Amino acid sequence: MNPVLPRDAVEFGETARMAFESVGGIQAARRAEADPTSRAEVSGLLTSLGIDDLDPRAEADTAAAAAVLCEEAGRVALSYPVAGAVLRTGGLPTALVPPHHLRVDHGDLFEAWHVCRPDGRASTARATGPALGTRLGPFVCDLDADDDLRPVDHADPADAELRNWWLTLSGWTILGALDRAVELATAHTRDRVQFGKPLTEFQTVRFQLADAAIAVAGLRELALFALWRLDVAPDRARPDVLALRSHALDVARFVLRATQQLHGASGLCDEVDISILVRHLQPALRLPAGAEDTAIELVAAIAADGFDGLFPHGRVA
Amino acid sequence: MDFDLGEEAAALRARLRTLIEAEIPGDFLGAFTDDPADLETTQRFCALLAREGLLTVAWPAEYGGAGGSVWDQTVVREEMWAHHEPRGPQYMGLNWVGPAIMAFGTDEQKRRHLPPIAEGSVIWCQGFSEPDAGSDLAALATRATPDGDGWRIRGQKIWTSYAGMARWCVLAGRVGPGERHEGITMFLVPMDAPGITVVPIDSMLGPHHLNEVFLDDVPVGPDAVLGEVGGGWAVIRRALAHERVGIARYARCERLLSLLADELRDAGTQLPEHLGVQWARALTQVRVARLLAYRAVLAQEAGGPPDAAASAARIAVTRCDQLVAELLFQVLGDRSLEAGPGAALAGAIEDHWRYAQAATVASGTLEVQQMIVAKDLLGRPG
Ligand SMILES: Cc1cc2nc3c(=O)[nH]c(=O)nc-3n(C[C@H](O)[C@H](O)[C@H](O)COP(=O)(O)OP(=O)(O)OC[C@H]3O[C@@H](n4cnc5c(N)ncnc54)[C@H](O)[C@@H]3O)c2cc1C
Repeated sequence: MNPVLPRDAVEFGETARMAFESVGGIQAARRAEADPTSRAEVSGLLTSLGIDDLDPRAEADTAAAAAVLCEEAGRVALSYPVAGAVLRTGGLPTALVPPHHLRVDHGDLFEAWHVCRPDGRASTARATGPALGTRLGPFVCDLDADDDLRPVDHADPADAELRNWWLTLSGWTILGALDRAVELATAHTRDRVQFGKPLTEFQTVRFQLADAAIAVAGLRELALFALWRLDVAPDRARPDVLALRSHALDVARFVLRATQQLHGASGLCDEVDISILVRHLQPALRLPAGAEDTAIELVAAIAADGFDGLFPHGRVA
Repeated sequence: MDFDLGEEAAALRARLRTLIEAEIPGDFLGAFTDDPADLETTQRFCALLAREGLLTVAWPAEYGGAGGSVWDQTVVREEMWAHHEPRGPQYMGLNWVGPAIMAFGTDEQKRRHLPPIAEGSVIWCQGFSEPDAGSDLAALATRATPDGDGWRIRGQKIWTSYAGMARWCVLAGRVGPGERHEGITMFLVPMDAPGITVVPIDSMLGPHHLNEVFLDDVPVGPDAVLGEVGGGWAVIRRALAHERVGIARYARCERLLSLLADELRDAGTQLPEHLGVQWARALTQVRVARLLAYRAVLAQEAGGPPDAAASAARIAVTRCDQLVAELLFQVLGDRSLEAGPGAALAGAIEDHWRYAQAATVASGTLEVQQMIVAKDLLGRPG
């Protein structure tokens, strides 16, 4: 038992963090919302970080590096689909899409995508128009498939593997965002004085911070575990991956709410970082499926593949 | 025992729905948008309600009201909030500014301010919060200094909703050497007075909701003081208690839950079982919130200290708002990311979600309401 990331991955995460901060951190996300073409800057930065060589399917070390890159991207609400971009099929980035249409965050950033539906069908697809440009989906685009989606009975096992990786890496992105949210709330309540003392002097505030921090710590364990399972038991990892995704969505709901609340009214303002984090994370929480539908998928996956990754289930024979 | 609001209230509800159906566009999401036509819609609608005698249903007849019951008033609040508040920012004048002027104002202030509110022709805003005085409102530092027979007001307000639209502000300032609750004084200040600057704040709620108001030696006359000099805290408490029950958020929750189910049915589908279970639970929560709000209305009508009941209702209602917002998003899936007329229920669900995130902060945070309820449990004075 040694549940820690390889040293190289940790160092790579630190490098990525510095790189993202060098372009302004969350400020870059604000810039991208005002001017979506500024995402080109992010793209260049990721290339210099070596994103093109981070396919997590290659080996455990690249998988760990891809995961921490996604985590760091989440911390700054990076305006870029990192999980999709490291997972290439025939040179195309991957996106998991909802059952009824092809919708992808930052779908306009690439000429074409390899899109996978929950039922196993897949295709090449391209953005059909501009992004939604809404407050909760500033960069979300609709895509059109080049040809009919490959039918289920021709589903490619490689797509199943892609799906697992995509879900895991997007879980790491959410983890990064939530970790940052707790940091922001901690810093804010430490600085903010009401009733003559910093808010962190009030026990309720401490309880709220502690609960949020524990939730994120738990999610981190699950994210690490999913990464390990994809390495050692890729064929049986689906329930572990969906458990990560499902839990990430549940924890996100709680942590974002608690940390935004701790900011008071300022937490709703775009000049305050938590507001950008909450808004820009929404597509990751709704695409390809939200918390409730994901939990239903998890039920099915457990029925099919069990859940005894850590603890043997079943009666003694 | 009887939970029926009565025939008059039911008839009033039907009449309001007919008026809204006729006058308010189907994709109306409130006055606080980038489209000035939305504010105009609310201005027209207020004038119409005033002509129909519906704007000040529960105000006493002597102030231009219809002398209706608190249940009539409740029905008005519910129908208005359920339909995205077609009175726009004027609800504030009707809900608590008018009643506060009735309770604390001089005859001259009543003569001057109540008729425009009752006619639906004036927008008020609430200048309480300051950068360093949020939950701790008694820390407010905006200062009024005597100047001739009037005052000069200097300081800064923040989060002031609709300040850019308002003609008047009920402003909390500090007079004399007193600290905390002592010395707080309410002023009725025209927003076009020299020295006032309004700066909008960008937020996830959309435009107009939040603003900064800078007061640079704003001159006001002796007649600007509402109530006693130094007696502002009583006005604030009363105003906030009214405000906390004044917004019937549960009504919009229930309407959206029911409309979404209708829409699915029309499309020949229904909620999958796992969401159907939550939908039924949410409806029940909404009912609980509604009943607690009714309890607060009864407490206010009985004239008792309104704080604890108002806060209990506010806690239930704002939690409901967030619960329902998230459930509706789960039902919509990725369509929840869309906004505007083409989105689900003409954008009402997306709008509701964003606004619901603010519910547990506006009018005093959830935690502040919990403190008020706890104090009441412990038998301590507020
Ligand atoms: C949509 C909206 C509209 C508004 N409109 C107006 C308006 O028109 N006029 C106006 O005057 N104000 C308005 N406000 C301001 C509102 O009243 C304040 O935001 C609110 O009172 C909280 O103050 P704050 O934002 O400074 O948060 P803070 O007081 O800084 O609180 C931050 C966090 O700390 C918690 N906290 C604070 N003290 C304690 C404690 N002792 N124990 C435990 N937890 C604590 C809070 O609950 C909160 O979670 C509006 C706010 C919103 C969101």
